[in-house]
Amino acid sequence: MDHQSASFSSSVSSSSLKLDQSNFRRISRTEDSSLYPIPGLAADILHMRVKEGSKIRNLLRFATLRMQGEGRDSAGTLLRQVVFSGSGRGVTKTITCVEILKRKVEGLHQVSKLYYKTIHEVWESPQQGAPGTTMERTVPAICILLSKDPLDPQEPGYQPPQVISGPTDTGRHRGLLRVAHSPPSQRTAKRLCLDDWNMRPT
Amino acid sequence: MTEPRNPSMSSVPQTAPAHTDSSSSVVEMDPVEYTLRKRLPRKLPKRRNDVYVNMKTDFRAQLARCQKLLEGGGHREICVHGLGLAINRAINIALQLQASSQGALQLAANTSTVELVDDLEPEDPDEAGEPMTRTRNNSAIHIKVFYPDTQLAQ
Repeated sequence: MDHQSASFSSSVSSSSLKLDQSNFRRISRTEDSSLYPIPGLAADILHMRVKEGSKIRNLLRFATLRMQGEGRDSAGTLLRQVVFSGSGRGVTKTITCVEILKRKVEGLHQVSKLYYKTIHEVWESPQQGAPGTTMERTVPAICILLSKDPLDPQEPGYQPPQVISGPTDTGRHRGLLRVAHSPPSQRTAKRLCLDDWNMRPT
Repeated sequence: MTEPRNPSMSSVPQTAPAHTDSSSSVVEMDPVEYTLRKRLPRKLPKRRNDVYVNMKTDFRAQLARCQKLLEGGGHREICVHGLGLAINRAINIALQLQASSQGALQLAANTSTVELVDDLEPEDPDEAGEPMTRTRNNSAIHIKVFYPDTQLAQ
């Protein structure tokens, strides 16, 4: 079901292989590591590559340490920009990371770019001597630049920093308010509203 | 694909309270079971050129609808929105539109956070459990697909 959209554009190249693909073994998978789709970026910028299995807490712990406070890392350099990129099923996670980081570090300008990423795959046949095949797949990808310095507002995909209203920072106090006799769970770190169960977001 | 599925009726048995109780020493106490009901996302503005992408409608149908708006509908720009899992599909639709326009269309993506509300209803009304709600956040994307102004491009 969720492969439907991801493989839409690649169906032309992959449909011929579809029947016996299960017997093939993928031996290499190289991503087209082209330049950033965002113009005018420094080469040594902090680039967070969000994958499908990356943990958001790991990514954000690293990124917030470099961005928050004085923004000084071990080398003593100031970090004013960070790029998050992800493709395929990692796109949602990339956006979630960016949204949480924007709440943690205030006043970040943002530019988002969408593009297709090409992935070359080499498949090996299980029979000895039989030729393997190479496949080219394209997956949707996103690349988001967050910057403490102002960016060009005319750039497509620009978003100005958001004004955070009040101290209702959901990222900070994530406790589980529940009935008194059960201990709070660390795993289900969600907010529960007990009294006001008809509450609607305004 | 054809079974009628109402999103508000997709009840998942929620055993989160049971999970925490089993770790504590209280074993005799019957854990209260809840039904998790996801409310629909809050109503968002809907202009003629807004397209809200979901995961239930056929991908090609949603792509065709966008193409129709841009070509037949005479709109200079449309806005494709996707929430959660549908972000991927929204991006795919936008990129497909751009690819099929031979570079005439431009994309401008914005991200946001949408607050969603879940209702937790006790399975058994005789139990002590009271109905609760839970808010959670989900990511969303809003992609403006537009023909750039020729005056600005030069």
